[in-house]
Amino acid sequence: MTAFSQEPMSRRHMLKGLGVCLSLPLLDAMIPSAYARPSTFKSWNQSAGKHPRMLCCYVPNGVNILEWVPATSGKSYQLSPTLSALKEHQREFSVVSGVGHLASKGGHSGADTWLTGADLSAVPGSDYANTISADQIVAEHHGKQTRFPSLQISDASGTGSAGHSHTLSFDRSGTPMPAENSAQRLFDRLFIPETKAGKQATLKRYAERKSILDSVLSDANSLNQKLGKKDQQKLDEYLNSVRETEQRVSRLESWIDVPKPKVDPVGLQLASQSRNAHDRPMWIDVMLEISYLAFATDTTRVITFEWSREAGGYGGGGENHHELSHHGGDAGMLSKLATIDRFHLSKLARFMTLLKSTREAGGSMLDQTIVMYGSGMNSGKGGEHSPKNLPTLIAGGQQLGLKQGQHLAFDVEKHPPLSNLLLSLIQAMGVETDRFQDSTSTLTGLA
Amino acid sequence: MSCFLKRLILAGCLLAGCSGGADLAWAQSTTRKTDAAGHQKVVAPFLQKYCLKCHKSGSKDNEFRVDASLTNDFSDPTSTGKWEEIVNVLNGHEMPPEGERAPKAKEVAEVVDWITAQIVKAELSKRDSSIVLRRLNRAEYRNTIRDLIGIDFDPAGFPQDSPAGGFDNNGGALTLSPLHLELYLEAARKILDLALVETSQPPILKWRIQPDSGDSDRNRVNYDGQRIIVNGGKNRVENGFKVLHHNSWDKKLNARDFKLPYAGNYLIRIRAAGKVPGRAAVVASAKAALQHRMEQQNKKNPKGAKWTKQQLERDLKHFETDSMYDYGYPRLKFTQHLGGQPKVLAELDIDAPLSQPKVYEFSGYFSTEKAGVTIEYAYDLPRALENFWMQTGDQFARPELHVDWIEIEGPHYESWPPASHRQIMGRHTNKPGDERQAAKEIISQLMRRAYRRPVTEQEMEEKLRLFVSVRKDAPSFIAALKAPLMAVLVSPHFLYLAEAPRATGAGADSQLGSRKLNDYELASRLSYFLWSTMPDEDLLSAAANGRLTQPAELTRQVDRMLADPKASAFTKNFAGQWLGLREVGANPPAADLYPRYDRHLETSMVAESEAFFSEILQHDINMMNLVSSDFVVVNQRMARFYGIPGVKGDHFRKVSVPAGVHRGGIVTQASVLTITSNGTRTSPVKRGTWVMKNLLGLDPGLPVANVGDIAPKVPGIDKATVRKRLEIHRELPQCARCHNKIDPLGFALENFNAAGEWRAQEGFGYKGRIGSNDPRIDASASMPDGTTFVGVDGLRDALTKQETLFLKCLSGKLLTYALGREMGVADNPTVDQAVSEIKQNDYTLRSLIKFVVLSEPFRSK
Repeated sequence: MTAFSQEPMSRRHMLKGLGVCLSLPLLDAMIPSAYARPSTFKSWNQSAGKHPRMLCCYVPNGVNILEWVPATSGKSYQLSPTLSALKEHQREFSVVSGVGHLASKGGHSGADTWLTGADLSAVPGSDYANTISADQIVAEHHGKQTRFPSLQISDASGTGSAGHSHTLSFDRSGTPMPAENSAQRLFDRLFIPETKAGKQATLKRYAERKSILDSVLSDANSLNQKLGKKDQQKLDEYLNSVRETEQRVSRLESWIDVPKPKVDPVGLQLASQSRNAHDRPMWIDVMLEISYLAFATDTTRVITFEWSREAGGYGGGGENHHELSHHGGDAGMLSKLATIDRFHLSKLARFMTLLKSTREAGGSMLDQTIVMYGSGMNSGKGGEHSPKNLPTLIAGGQQLGLKQGQHLAFDVEKHPPLSNLLLSLIQAMGVETDRFQDSTSTLTGLA
Repeated sequence: MSCFLKRLILAGCLLAGCSGGADLAWAQSTTRKTDAAGHQKVVAPFLQKYCLKCHKSGSKDNEFRVDASLTNDFSDPTSTGKWEEIVNVLNGHEMPPEGERAPKAKEVAEVVDWITAQIVKAELSKRDSSIVLRRLNRAEYRNTIRDLIGIDFDPAGFPQDSPAGGFDNNGGALTLSPLHLELYLEAARKILDLALVETSQPPILKWRIQPDSGDSDRNRVNYDGQRIIVNGGKNRVENGFKVLHHNSWDKKLNARDFKLPYAGNYLIRIRAAGKVPGRAAVVASAKAALQHRMEQQNKKNPKGAKWTKQQLERDLKHFETDSMYDYGYPRLKFTQHLGGQPKVLAELDIDAPLSQPKVYEFSGYFSTEKAGVTIEYAYDLPRALENFWMQTGDQFARPELHVDWIEIEGPHYESWPPASHRQIMGRHTNKPGDERQAAKEIISQLMRRAYRRPVTEQEMEEKLRLFVSVRKDAPSFIAALKAPLMAVLVSPHFLYLAEAPRATGAGADSQLGSRKLNDYELASRLSYFLWSTMPDEDLLSAAANGRLTQPAELTRQVDRMLADPKASAFTKNFAGQWLGLREVGANPPAADLYPRYDRHLETSMVAESEAFFSEILQHDINMMNLVSSDFVVVNQRMARFYGIPGVKGDHFRKVSVPAGVHRGGIVTQASVLTITSNGTRTSPVKRGTWVMKNLLGLDPGLPVANVGDIAPKVPGIDKATVRKRLEIHRELPQCARCHNKIDPLGFALENFNAAGEWRAQEGFGYKGRIGSNDPRIDASASMPDGTTFVGVDGLRDALTKQETLFLKCLSGKLLTYALGREMGVADNPTVDQAVSEIKQNDYTLRSLIKFVVLSEPFRSK
């Protein structure tokens, strides 16, 4: 008996392992995730207004690609065993196979480049240099119209470390944007109104900020005159940042008198912890529910959500998700992976239902909301950690021109860059550009 | 081995600063010469013979030509790109196509090695040797704020800093974006709000919580009018102590649902003791449980009696012999919950015996949000088949944690106003008579220290203007003062280590392109090198007196600084990044396969490697001990893991390695052994690569794209070890070329499993358990040049023989860290000098550090 040939551990199995029959306590690993209290959150009948939106959801460690990719392609394709978890939404999403990031090195650094497509070692003199992520290009376009230009969510707060990113979003200079993992804090930030005194204090702080920025700008200008050319180039980052921050402060000022939307947290399990295996299903739900509310109230139009960090991750029933990604073709491990994949997709399905059941002029919220879902790694047939043929699906956004209900199958060997797909989404979100990173065109058939 | 290593070097696979020596003509020169002879001898005939039939002008494949149009010029990116493509197709066996004449593996190797060498040479010679304006990284920012303001600010919310050359203090790689600036602004505000006070000292509360007062959330106890939940969990009570025997959701000690009236640091005290059962007690309790089980079984099935007896004896053996029952002290984990967010404030060994309970004290910051605290039992007992069902039985003998009470006291200040306030305000009160004059003094005082140099009148006036402009609308002097102070903390003079190209003061060098640093610039370089923080008053006054540019004073300062506790930052940031300690825990060994790997072990293994490095540094021990030593620096947790008896307590101390224990030296440390495993199994490839890169300074080369992971099972072989599977994988010639050099170094470490634990066999049983028939570890290694050695002992000997390579590698790393830039070809002479300096000075790290500090690059802009 080897460690790799086990079916999900049953009590009987444990007994067999011992070779005897006796009564045993329940182990943690045997407790199914269904024990977690299901969410009672209810969607709204109507959103606050019709706007294009985009949510990018990342799952780590790839998927069981054998049960993910449908056998047939085109409009009349047959759902694969894993994608059956989205059966009720089959007309609302398309699965894309065969695309990948050409510049990615593979392994567990997929979250770093999933939305950027960067070659992380391309810049001489730096071990790691990322570039702007697709969501941030969209956020630059839509950001002025919402209180928050974009939101970053992940199961670990902050940014993580190079190659183990805890965020999917990178700004124009390739700097990772810290993510939030607390449902409570995120909810407070979005929906808890400031008191009148608090507003006064905030306004004052903004004014003070401006005068401080003026002051440091003059520091920088006088320093700049003393520096050599290379150092001046470096200091340009600072000078540009000061100028941009001044604009941001002005933007924030203009929002201070706009009341935050009234949202009742009823049904939201805001205390769920991301790193607690028991809370895990509820935590994914509540973060998606807050994302839904942020969209419905037009508090933001762009969200990235890393469900678990790479080489980490929770399964539905306590399995070691990362360990399973090194399956080496083992049937038992692959089947456990597929269980986790379906668990994840059931959460996505629930989110899509929320969007679908909310009316918006001319259709549902889902028609205006692009949901990108996938992983930056493919564990393949043999447990390789490849950046090719990345598991990817695109849901919603039909009123933004996306064509759903199809399997877009591309040649795995001559895979088009995932950047083509990202470019299609950027364009669907209304940004006028014909290039993103290493894109060669938009993705054929998607829009 | 030396022959093989030389071959590697000639193959060009080398990292900066670790060059091969005299036979490398380019090593001493900054200008790169084209290797026409090598091209003529190795490459041209190869291309002629195998490629040119198709890849030439006019042929069907003329879009990729390797005729005269492909120049031997690696400074040109276009031709370099083509050469790289040639390496790719040769390595990937894509060319020549099937049906064409195939080159021998050796021929391909020669060509690939030559091309790679040219690319590396060109890379190194292009490398910039100037030190770029450098932003403080997260660790430096935190330390600097601590020393400048007296506040511990955790910048975990700042974006991670990009490293270069393996270190995150490289001016070129450290970027700054608007996001940074916003976070710096927010941080400055928070820091100053904490530092400066305008009220009288908040009253101190002191709550003593008795966990034995109740065992459910219904138990509410009144503290200063708040009815707090005190839930001691389902634990038995002994002499007024709650006894924690194992961890479970209903066995935690909780005090929840309260709000502290004032934000600030609170002291937490816990009165506790522990009971550590000896082996006899473990065996006795296990025997009782096993016997009970046997009787139950026999009652059900009397015919199985003979079998169950054997089972009992087998299982009993486990309790009698397994080292996991040489228990350490019980461990306590204290978690704070603020606004629903958990944060671990302390993890402690409870080393007091039941006869003499002790009060354990630590502190933590509490806001006025809804709060709670939790004590958990945190001693991990590995879950083995023989014990997992009795582990959580209260009768089973395991370390017990006895808790009497928990005290929360605060907000705590050493003095009022707090030190941070006095440090900024100096002699001034919150309501000075002459506000302008007071502001001027306070601001200029902080500016001098924040900018790490004297401040000009003009700079001063500018900040004073800011004070004046906000004063009229500000409610108080302090409130107005915060604006210019914030500006100082966000100023580029504070955030960057700025060095002007032309000296403005004395000490200017007429030499074009480079000049000597002035005293203040040198003070900062030195301080951020050894302390990762700003210069202290001693350094600044040495700079003010113009003494710091004198070599004698510099070396005196090095000794003084290394003796300061702040030097621990050097170990943490230099050794931590050199050895990859920040990677520990990023991809940990899978819990069910490696049950002995637990949280306490994880934190201990990082601390072990740091303590080991620090021991060698602080006690001037020959640095070859880093490679191989007859001592380890361990705490009890590591000693238990390594099988070293007689080590008690959680602190780290130097211990001789007993016979039969194969530890001593970096490659034997669990930290390095786990980060070079992939979580489920060992990875000889990662280990070999790690040794090459971090101890020998050699680049193992790039893997061929998409070859895939090694197969978990091999048809026809019942128990295929990792080594066997890798050997099969290596049969592909394109892999073998590099892996023949890499893998043997890793094979020698195969006696350590993925958690860094010693093993004689590779386990193929349930959850990786080792069965008696499982294959024995083969840790023999055979290098391509025919050198052989066996196991970790053989590897350590072989590495010790590569003394010069190791010293070059370490010197290169240290220079990279000290200068904040990567090493280039021009630095080779400096590296060579460093090595001879080390050899003349008893091989101490101190001599290397002094050499670096006195070296030209360190003292020049």
